[in-house]
Amino acid sequence: MQRQRSLLALILVLVIAAITVIATIPIPLGLDLRGGSQLTIQVKPSAEIPRITERELEGVRKVVEGRINGLGVSEPVIQTVGTDKILVQLPGVNDPEQAERILGGTAQLEFRTQKPSTEPQLYAFQSSRAGLKAKQEELRKSNDKAAIAKNQEELQKNNQAIAELFESTKPPLDGKYLKDAAGEPTQGNNWNVAIRFDQKGGELFAELTKNLAGTGRSIGIFLDNGLISAPTVGPEFAATGITGGSAVITGRFTAQEANDLGVQLRGGALPVPVEIAERRTVGATLGRDSIQSSIYAGVGGLTLVLIFMVFYYRLPGLIADVALVIYSLLTWATFALLGVTLTLPGIAGFILSIGMAVDANVLIFERTREELQAGKSLYRSVESGFYRAFSSILDSNVTTWIACAALFWLGSGLVKGFALTLALGVAVSMFTAITCSRTLMFLAIAIPSLRKPELFCPNLPTSNKAEVTQ
Amino acid sequence: MKLNINKSRSLWWIISAVIILAGIISMVISWQQPDIRAPLRPGLDFVGGTRLQFVRDCNKPGNCDQAIDINAVRDVAKEQGLGDSSIQVISENGGENGVLIRTKNLDVEQRTKLQNALSEKIGVFDPQKNQIDSVGPTLGRELFRSGVIALIVSFIGITIYMSFRFQLDYAVFAIVALFHDILITVGVFSILGLVLGIEVDSLFIVALLTITGFSVNDTVVIYDRIRETIKINPQRPIAEIVDDAVNQTLARSINTTLTVLLTLLAIFLFGGETLRNFSLALIVGFTMGAYSSIFIASTLLVWWRERSGQSYAVDSAESIDTPASSQDS
Repeated sequence: MQRQRSLLALILVLVIAAITVIATIPIPLGLDLRGGSQLTIQVKPSAEIPRITERELEGVRKVVEGRINGLGVSEPVIQTVGTDKILVQLPGVNDPEQAERILGGTAQLEFRTQKPSTEPQLYAFQSSRAGLKAKQEELRKSNDKAAIAKNQEELQKNNQAIAELFESTKPPLDGKYLKDAAGEPTQGNNWNVAIRFDQKGGELFAELTKNLAGTGRSIGIFLDNGLISAPTVGPEFAATGITGGSAVITGRFTAQEANDLGVQLRGGALPVPVEIAERRTVGATLGRDSIQSSIYAGVGGLTLVLIFMVFYYRLPGLIADVALVIYSLLTWATFALLGVTLTLPGIAGFILSIGMAVDANVLIFERTREELQAGKSLYRSVESGFYRAFSSILDSNVTTWIACAALFWLGSGLVKGFALTLALGVAVSMFTAITCSRTLMFLAIAIPSLRKPELFCPNLPTSNKAEVTQ
Repeated sequence: MKLNINKSRSLWWIISAVIILAGIISMVISWQQPDIRAPLRPGLDFVGGTRLQFVRDCNKPGNCDQAIDINAVRDVAKEQGLGDSSIQVISENGGENGVLIRTKNLDVEQRTKLQNALSEKIGVFDPQKNQIDSVGPTLGRELFRSGVIALIVSFIGITIYMSFRFQLDYAVFAIVALFHDILITVGVFSILGLVLGIEVDSLFIVALLTITGFSVNDTVVIYDRIRETIKINPQRPIAEIVDDAVNQTLARSINTTLTVLLTLLAIFLFGGETLRNFSLALIVGFTMGAYSSIFIASTLLVWWRERSGQSYAVDSAESIDTPASSQDS
């Protein structure tokens, strides 16, 4: 009895905790439910780069990230998928066409020269840009869409103004001449970024640096028409410029900054073409309709199962129903805690797991009935019902987990969500169907007025009944 | 009521064979259809292309007064060189206010052009209800491949687990039953593709994998019972043992399948367009899963043991393990 009590306390605590979690942590909705755009960008090999490695992929990801930040979307998701794809999720985007246009092209990296006597302007614009960027970060947190858009617009204007202070060389020195760029440590804690051009690029770069050396004007390094770095060239290069095709951008970079700049430069230099391999756009209200119908389906399905269980299994059925409700609460709370994003297939997985969660109880109760019919006492029957059904429950759940693992391991986004919710559901159902219903069942048996076998099994042979009720 | 499944096992096998055969025939026919060229009618996810769904904005006065004229939509598509697109008018906002177009892969410009031209002809669309999917053909192929690999991997995993927990022949027949369920589900969808034009998408593969889990689940429960009965009564003929085991677990098989089907039915009826075919696949697969566990996996096991001279189960008693929950009392 003591054990029953402490288990009951544990269940109560878990239920209260689950309700608290559900009330405080909202479950993020997938794009198919909240509306928005999802794009899969495929990075393709080219003649120069026949194989896409992690390095190229990371470079392209940076470029994509830069472009998306330019769109001013709140909470974008940008991640690499597999060996050659980038997944972009833009929740609540109203103009997916614009996003597609911007993401579809290859990044444009260009080295430009600053126009004469524009130094003070550049300085002023750069410091106001820093301010705008800091503000943008803050606004992102507050999720105020109008303010974000307004700030974005100002940043855009600022970018434009900065770009006007620079001019292209003839012919333009762009990303196709760049061979490599990488951060490298120097003495102390500083980092530099080393860049390397091919032969033609080296010549153009020498020309460019010769013109700028010692003037105080900067080289403008532009990615997609936005300034990412503006180093100056020392007077010692005035005679020949920086020759040999290699250069080092110094400045007090941290390791992180140097690396980022390296990646950006490489990304812009990548001659790899990108292609939008998949795009899915769901209007916001359409998603809302889906949620609504899924909720109807969930509640409808659950109600049908609850009614069936009481109808067929009587008192144990009622107990199973309580366990099932606890199951739903715990599973939902687990999703919230793990940050599972809820998608349409995810909801289906959850609803399905409700149906399957009943299985364990059905197995147990069938066993209990058999034992009762075989003439065992109520207590013994309930006990061996739980004991003997366990190996079946375990085996059948493990096989479901194996299928889920395969889905999770090999499937893509949507499929993964389904596998995860189903696997979690099965795990929680092991606990609720066995521990919860067991505890409640023994509590029920402890109450004398409930200790009637006909509450457990209708149509019991009368001879057995007499024997059991003694 | 007692089911004598082993007495009439050839009947069960014939029933299954007929359904499977019908599916295979349908797959062959489907393969020869010029517009399908595959055993099942592949959806956008697998062949690539663009699917556009537009719904008219009925809050604008006069916008929804007339039903959408499908011929007008066809004309617009034809003007843009998309004459071979499949076009459907769908119900939305209480009338025929939506249009669903499936066509070859369109880029942003082509798509916007089509959308604008349509809007001019049949009314203003509500951007909040647009659904636009474009999938490149390479991605679809990858999706399909990874799905099939996932299926194979889970088959292997389940076989290993079951030969470890039971015996190899149990595992093999569980997989045969599994194959049976998958084959019938695929066959049914091939027929539906031919007759009703139902397409399969990536969720169909998810459905097949879920069926895998459930089908074995069901078989395991019966096997578990067989193993237990053999342990108590090693001298009985295997056919009797299996008959008993099936009958003892019959109520459970029916009830579990029933509760799962109840939830699936709820998804099918209320779960919205996207999940309808998914739940239908599960309904077919799960029903077959219950059927095959009772009538196929068990009877095949008996047939095999009788054939290989193990019709009395004495020597397999060593594989019995005690349930792990023995600490409870």
